[in-house]
Amino acid sequence: MSGLIGIVNYGIAGNIHSIKKAIEQAGGEVQIINNPTDFKTVGKIVVPGVGSFKGAMRELETDGFIDDLQKTDKPILGICLGMQILTTLGFEYGKTRGLGLVNGEVKPIICDAPVPHVGFNKITVVNESGILSGVEDEEFYFMHSYEVVNYTDVSALSEYAGHEFVAAIQKNNLYGVQFHPEKSRDAGIKLFRNFIAV
Amino acid sequence: MTVRIIAKLDVKPPHVVKPIHFEGLRKIGRPDDLADQYYKQGADELFYIDIVASLYRREILFDEIERTANQLFIPFAVGGGVKTIDDFSKLFHNGADKVVINTHAVQRDPSLINKAAEIFGSQAVVVNIEAKQWGDNWECFTDCGRIQSGKDVLTWVQDVEQRGAGEILLQAVDKDGRQRGFDMELAKKVVNVVNVPVVVSSGAGSLEDIKNLVEYSGPSGVAIASLLHYGKVTVRSIKEYLRLNGIEVSK
Repeated sequence: MSGLIGIVNYGIAGNIHSIKKAIEQAGGEVQIINNPTDFKTVGKIVVPGVGSFKGAMRELETDGFIDDLQKTDKPILGICLGMQILTTLGFEYGKTRGLGLVNGEVKPIICDAPVPHVGFNKITVVNESGILSGVEDEEFYFMHSYEVVNYTDVSALSEYAGHEFVAAIQKNNLYGVQFHPEKSRDAGIKLFRNFIAV
Repeated sequence: MTVRIIAKLDVKPPHVVKPIHFEGLRKIGRPDDLADQYYKQGADELFYIDIVASLYRREILFDEIERTANQLFIPFAVGGGVKTIDDFSKLFHNGADKVVINTHAVQRDPSLINKAAEIFGSQAVVVNIEAKQWGDNWECFTDCGRIQSGKDVLTWVQDVEQRGAGEILLQAVDKDGRQRGFDMELAKKVVNVVNVPVVVSSGAGSLEDIKNLVEYSGPSGVAIASLLHYGKVTVRSIKEYLRLNGIEVSK
């Protein structure tokens, strides 16, 4: 299997620059996936996400990435919105169907504190996951207004103003983190190193 | 809830400068050097504001921004001279995680906030407020604190929140660069009228000023410029001090 990590480049909203730098810092080799045929040459896939659930699904559709993402058995790491769109349904700017790879929905954070939830926050691992090894008690950078709910394959939780929410998920080859490892100092680099090794 | 300690670079490319009351620029250093220094000190985020782009009506200088973003593994917010969705897009592709807007939105087209939030997500849209006090009220200024907008700060921040802004950067023109403490009343009022995170800037002269601001106004972040630039304190010493005073900060 190819050791290349592919970063899906979709729409105009992606922060792929930061993710590429962080993976390279972790010792990985990156290929930007600009069209569906690029999936063949990579061993693992990172789905970034800046933007809205609705916008991201529309762009993935336009660029023709949906089929490959749904069918691949390569390890996928979804970051922030990239994790959220792995689920079945999102409620940002109306109701939008997600990739449907994991059961769950994405809804606004409702809590007694400012939203978006922005800043470094500690995670608590509730189920072991390869990508979280060695970073179990670290702080990661969060920047989100929505969260994954009604979901069972949770690997880590975090808490914001007394409100507990899903920070990381894993189901078979699918990994997702609500936080931004590419913006989380050394702990984030370590997480990418883990993903390179899974 | 942890308070974010943010380093703010006011940039007049190719230098980081530090004005007083947004006037009288003094050169401090290069943006990439300072960014690296504050990153290593443990800054939670970095704000980069090209303070003359709007004033000079010139294009955004992307090379300088990309160079600064290069070895930064913390969030990087960039502003100054942002006018279009294309500007947002280019900034993200040059390493920005959030884009900061002021002049164009407040003076010409507030709907830029709505459009940007829908395309890039609220969390990526930061509205910069340059507030100046008139009696009991505060008015929004633009172009580096020079031009009036006629908009009341407390009304405007609620408006931008409705439009989808995900964060407020609150600067006080009269306090900025003086290092004599924040406008804590203004900060408290803004924090209370919006639900989005508010980052307060302008006026930190001591560790105690920062503590007082956090205790009195409850912002979600504090942006520090002069105090760090002149080496009076480091991000680490700010965090240690706040922690000792019972205020939660990240590592």
